[in-house]
Amino acid sequence: MLTTKGLGYWYANPEDYLFKDVNLHFDAGVMTAIVGQSGAGKTTMLSLLAGLDKPRAGTIAFRDEDIAKLGLTNFRRHHVSTIFQAYNLFTYMSARQNLLTAMAITQSAHRGDADYANQMLGKLGLTAAQMRQTVARLSGGQQQRVAIARSMVCDAELVVADEPTGNLDEANTQAVVDLFRQLAQDLGKAVIIVTHEEAVAAQCDAVLRLASRTVSWERQPSR
Amino acid sequence: MVNLLWMDVIHVNFIKRAGLTLVAKKGRTALLVLVTTAIMLFVLAGLLIRNAANTATATAKANVGATLTLSQNRAAAFKTMRSSSQSGSKPTLTQTPVKLSLAKQIARIQHVASYAVTVTTSANASGFDAITTRGTTGGFGGRGPATTSGDITISGVTSTASATAFNQKTASITQGRGLTKADANSHNVVIESELAKQNSLSVGDTIKLKATTGSKATTTLTIVGIYKAKSTSTGMPGESDPANTVYTGYGLANQVKGSKYVNTADNVTFTVSAPSQVAAVKKAAKQLINTSKYSITSDDQNYQLVKSSMATVSGFANKIVWLVAIAGTIILALIVILMIRERRHEIGVLLALGEARWKIIGQFLTELFVVLLVGIGLAAAGGKVVGDQLAQQVVATQTTQSATTGQFGRPGGPSGQGKQLPGGGQQTAKTNQAAKQTKLATHVTVQALALLFALGLGIILVAILIAAAGILRLQPKNVLIE
Ligand SMILES: Nc1ncnc2c1ncn2[C@@H]1O[C@H](COP(=O)(O)OP(=O)(O)OP(=O)(O)O)[C@@H](O)[C@H]1O
Ligand SMILES: [Mg+2]
Repeated sequence: MLTTKGLGYWYANPEDYLFKDVNLHFDAGVMTAIVGQSGAGKTTMLSLLAGLDKPRAGTIAFRDEDIAKLGLTNFRRHHVSTIFQAYNLFTYMSARQNLLTAMAITQSAHRGDADYANQMLGKLGLTAAQMRQTVARLSGGQQQRVAIARSMVCDAELVVADEPTGNLDEANTQAVVDLFRQLAQDLGKAVIIVTHEEAVAAQCDAVLRLASRTVSWERQPSR
Repeated sequence: MVNLLWMDVIHVNFIKRAGLTLVAKKGRTALLVLVTTAIMLFVLAGLLIRNAANTATATAKANVGATLTLSQNRAAAFKTMRSSSQSGSKPTLTQTPVKLSLAKQIARIQHVASYAVTVTTSANASGFDAITTRGTTGGFGGRGPATTSGDITISGVTSTASATAFNQKTASITQGRGLTKADANSHNVVIESELAKQNSLSVGDTIKLKATTGSKATTTLTIVGIYKAKSTSTGMPGESDPANTVYTGYGLANQVKGSKYVNTADNVTFTVSAPSQVAAVKKAAKQLINTSKYSITSDDQNYQLVKSSMATVSGFANKIVWLVAIAGTIILALIVILMIRERRHEIGVLLALGEARWKIIGQFLTELFVVLLVGIGLAAAGGKVVGDQLAQQVVATQTTQSATTGQFGRPGGPSGQGKQLPGGGQQTAKTNQAAKQTKLATHVTVQALALLFALGLGIILVAILIAAAGILRLQPKNVLIE
């Protein structure tokens, strides 16, 4: 579904590149984990895959079409859904309004359907009162679950998540991992999760490791 | 049908978000409303003053030139006097009173509705006292063209109602009746209340006046009315106390003046039925008169004064509108720039979700638009109060300036003085008073609000346009990933 060709990225100068000449393929129905030490470039890689930034070198193709040609805004709106490390919700809106807003922008099939939003928030363990609550008043873990619910109500075929279980307890972590698994297996989406939790990585179909300016498959996706 | 609905949802989404934001961030919304209201209030005040000034000018114009005055061509008379003095003979100012037959001829011109005659002369009080408190008598001569002064000024008129003082409401009858056409040659008189009080005179009593010119005969007059003059003496040397002016029929005034003045007038005022006809009537009248002896003038002095003073007021109001509009645009642009900085995170999230940048700008515009509508509503409520206050200030400053010009700005030099009509200074002072009395009444009209709305919309559009660069440049990754 998503293919990188000769992908390279650096911040200040080309000599200090984070990675270069990366050729990867992410398939539909596969849940991939990206692991690596802090500062290895996991978030940077994810932002490229999510169309939030342009690569310094190489291209990224979504269904054989260069996302630069597709238009990054268009790509983000219709094809990819991102869950950030810092949640990035609309803090002045309720959990439900956050979902409805995202559904409207991405023109999701369920846009305007408040019941659908409630249902998804319920799946992630939020109470009816919490759904109506301004998200700024929710705990970190609750906000993270709202962010996950938001990515799920949008119809994107590609879901990328940066440390989605970073603020969750064991039970909630497992619930979220199960949801991601459902997205990949049942809905046929490509799911890419950055994680530093061994337990999460272990449950993924493939594991990609970023270390010392190299990117390699620790566990290849089974074809 | 279903598709149409979906389209609506998509496009209306940013408007809905704008509403959510305005409600959620009440403090910020209140602040924006406050700033916008202040800007709109001053713009509206400026617009209202400008409108009021234009209305005042239009009103003055509508009231102008309904009259034409026929009098001796004094400028020509003075010229003759000067040239005769150069040739060595004794300088004498030739008095050429207006013949009433000429006035009647002019009155027959189409569109002349009526005419009123004024004859001014003076006489001495006989058996009663003139008011002397302000140094009435002296060697300076009284008002008007009388060459030898008496202590009482006789104003011979067609009717008191047509006399300037009554016309301009600076005098009004308080007892008895005014004079009418029928009183032209009668021995009836209307005197001022102070003169009546000092001499214990009332309606029905008689007074005696001794002529200072002509036969110097004494005439007995019956008081038919008492009037009250609002204007008081300006204290100018040689000016008779206004209370010493008595009104008689013009025929009687001519008798007192002297036999050669029978059937003449100092000046004749013609009332023209429509102001637009004045120029045509004036042209026709000029054909009938000997222009080296007589002059016919339209009285638009008041209009000219109001026009120039209102032009200044209007110009000032325009400056207010533009200054506030420009300052307001800058202030709002700065506020929006700050607001966009403060909301970078929110904008980043929207961009990450794939929202189009123009829709984000649209959301900000919608928010400001709602704020603008509330601001205009509040400004409309308070606009009249601020407008009236400002207008009062502006008019007060303005008329002080024009009064100063009126008194000191006259062409100087002996020849300039010579050309000036006797009592011309007084005339200017009176006209200034009229201008001062021009109250600028501001009215919040639909047109003014429409213009205010257009200006307000322009202001927020420019402000957003300036601030939009921040949205267009923003990269979601930079704000969402620390
Ligand atoms: N905006 C930036 N400008 C310059 N350098 C940056 C910027 N963002 C990240 N970096 C650097 O790039 C490297 C990779 O950062 P990145 O955030 O991708 O790491 P990460 O693998 O996600 O780390 P963590 O596990 O701590 O989240 C780091 O050394 C970081 O200092
Ligand atoms: Mg990271």
